[in-house]
Amino acid sequence: MRNRFDEQLFELNREIIEMGAMCEEAIASAAKALSTGDTELAARVRENGSAIDQMERDIESRCMKLLLHQQPVARDLRLISAALKMITDMERIGDQAEDIAEIIEFLKDRKTVNVSVIEDMAREAVQMVTDSIDAFVKKDVALANKVLAHDDVVDTYFKKMKCDIIKLISEIPDDGEFALDLLMISKYFERIGDHATNIAEWVIYSVTGIHKEA
Amino acid sequence: MTSKIFKSILSAVIAVLAASLVIITGVMYRYFGTVQENQLKDELSLAAIATEQLGESYLENLKSNRYRLTWVAADGSVIFDSHADATAMENHAEREEIKEALAYGTGSSTRQSSTLTEQTIYEATRLDDGSVLRISVSRATALLLVLGMMQPIAIVIVIAILLSAWLAQRMAKHVVDPLNKLNLDKPMENDAYEELSPLLRRIHAQQMEIKNQMRILKHKQDEFEQITGNMKEALVLLDSAGKIFSINPAAKALFNIGDAYIGEDFLTVERKQNMRLALEQAKAQGHSDFRDKKNGKEYQFDLNRIDSDGKNQGVVILAFDITDRVNAEKHRREFTANVSHELKTPLQSIIGSAELMENGIVKEEDVPGFVGRIRKEASRLVMLIDDIIRLSQLDEGADMPHEDVSMLALAQEVRETLADAAKMKNISLNVSGDDGVINGVRRLLYEIIYNLCDNAIKYNNPDGSVEVSIMEDEGTVRLSVQDNGVGIAPEHQEKIFERFYRVDKSHSKQSGGTGLGLSIVKHAVQYHHGKIDISSEFGKGTLFLIEIPKDK
Repeated sequence: MRNRFDEQLFELNREIIEMGAMCEEAIASAAKALSTGDTELAARVRENGSAIDQMERDIESRCMKLLLHQQPVARDLRLISAALKMITDMERIGDQAEDIAEIIEFLKDRKTVNVSVIEDMAREAVQMVTDSIDAFVKKDVALANKVLAHDDVVDTYFKKMKCDIIKLISEIPDDGEFALDLLMISKYFERIGDHATNIAEWVIYSVTGIHKEA
Repeated sequence: MTSKIFKSILSAVIAVLAASLVIITGVMYRYFGTVQENQLKDELSLAAIATEQLGESYLENLKSNRYRLTWVAADGSVIFDSHADATAMENHAEREEIKEALAYGTGSSTRQSSTLTEQTIYEATRLDDGSVLRISVSRATALLLVLGMMQPIAIVIVIAILLSAWLAQRMAKHVVDPLNKLNLDKPMENDAYEELSPLLRRIHAQQMEIKNQMRILKHKQDEFEQITGNMKEALVLLDSAGKIFSINPAAKALFNIGDAYIGEDFLTVERKQNMRLALEQAKAQGHSDFRDKKNGKEYQFDLNRIDSDGKNQGVVILAFDITDRVNAEKHRREFTANVSHELKTPLQSIIGSAELMENGIVKEEDVPGFVGRIRKEASRLVMLIDDIIRLSQLDEGADMPHEDVSMLALAQEVRETLADAAKMKNISLNVSGDDGVINGVRRLLYEIIYNLCDNAIKYNNPDGSVEVSIMEDEGTVRLSVQDNGVGIAPEHQEKIFERFYRVDKSHSKQSGGTGLGLSIVKHAVQYHHGKIDISSEFGKGTLFLIEIPKDK
């Protein structure tokens, strides 16, 4: 019985890593598509979105089954409950990567005026996602704390981006839609940073049993 | 085991105790019964004699509570009874003991009383006058006796059981102790029960076998680790669940992980999609491979499923560094493209000139100029092809004849050859230094000096100077070619040895080089296991310093 439980926990762990890797790749691809304007890559990101959703449902039902059948305690219970929370954040990251990809496809060959800031921001957000998944994989609290601290960087980029967009609107008043799209993308990246922070918090919880107050 | 021995000893003791109690009680009861009967008989014979002499008066005076005496007449009527009124008593003629006494002189019988706890023993004897004197006594039955003895027996039993329990425990301990003290690590050194020696011998043999097999296994493992530990390729073995079974140092370096990853899920080490897909493919189809960049290097990953007895036992991942190969491929592609381009340029010029002349557009007086250009371009083409052939020979590492060559003599030869070119730009070309004999390939060494001097003249200002000096050391010959020409900017210094690389791309035609000279120099120096240094300052001049060992 226990053996089977351990096996199922192992499978759960593996599925979470897999889902994390999928989100990581989705957001990294979206960021890459943004800087290169590669609409094909953006389209691929959108196609992979459903796989992430499916993964979320699979993990969810596995967690429920484990909770019901095995009635885990202590560490195992923390892992499973943290998993339930984490996959929600991961799924949101996947969705937002999809949304970004959609906008990129829409933007197509529109000239992005000042993409360097948004590219930097994307890179930071991707790094946060990667670090939060890494923290889960290695059960590394220090790395998770680093992710928490890193959120400020992305927030700062977002503020900077807002200023740039305001400037952009005053410079080319006819292209309001483009400015809004840029704002949306940067907001999405900012949100992704927040989701990565959440994941990191749940990693800390699953290891130490203490959940940081938001 | 102790408790089992204890239990069996205790139960045996209790059983023996109970049996002996029963037997002793039985024997004792019978013995006392006999004694009592005899006593009764004695008593009766005394009473009979007394009764015969004294008659009823004796019986009446006999005060005995223990015995009951009954005197019965020959017809069975009771004459006297010590415990009851004789007249009220019924006729005793039918009583067994009376009947016997009347018939044989004596009689006896035993009758159970109504309560079962008592029985009465009767003894009767016939007196001389034909009457019968009977004596009787009541005594307890064996059951009552046992019941009466219950208390002392119980005490004895409890004491006996406690004693035997204590003894049993001690004995059990004593028996088991040698077993507990057995040293199973060294089974043959034990001095316990003889009955155990086959077992101990067996254990010893098995231990030896295990030790032997462990040694073989360890040896094999060491061998495996030696091989995988020293190989440059990264090797990871996964079990059927995808956990890391073995990982060699190269793989640890490749994935940036420590030692604690044995038994972990491989996904925790590498979770990239291409690896996940490749793993799945390898599990499904038996093999997969992909290329990926890692730590700034290009790696080829080969994954193979391990099958044993038709069952999937895991996956082996082998990764090797193909950075050099990829770079070489890139170089080759670039070289091919460059060669085609460089070969095409003079040919275009030749074709252009020839076409103009063919169509009669060229004036008569211009024809020599065009023909001259054709000749010049053609000879440039030949030069280029010569250089390419030389380079490819060097690339192939073809064996070339070695001989002792004096570098000084070679340098002087070069000076003769380049004298005209130097004169045209009014450049002084000076050769000085030691003899510098090297055992090497004459043609290649000549190429080194020639190309360096040629460049020094070509990229020099008018009225400049080129100094060639040769210094001989213990085991090496150093050649330096110094000019005070245009110099090479630092950003170009790295690349000038690449094929077809030109510092000033627009003036390549003017200077007339092939772009392969320094590349040939580099290869020729490498062929002789030498090294080449360059120090240059833009606008001030360049110094090439070459060091070649005298023997290869």
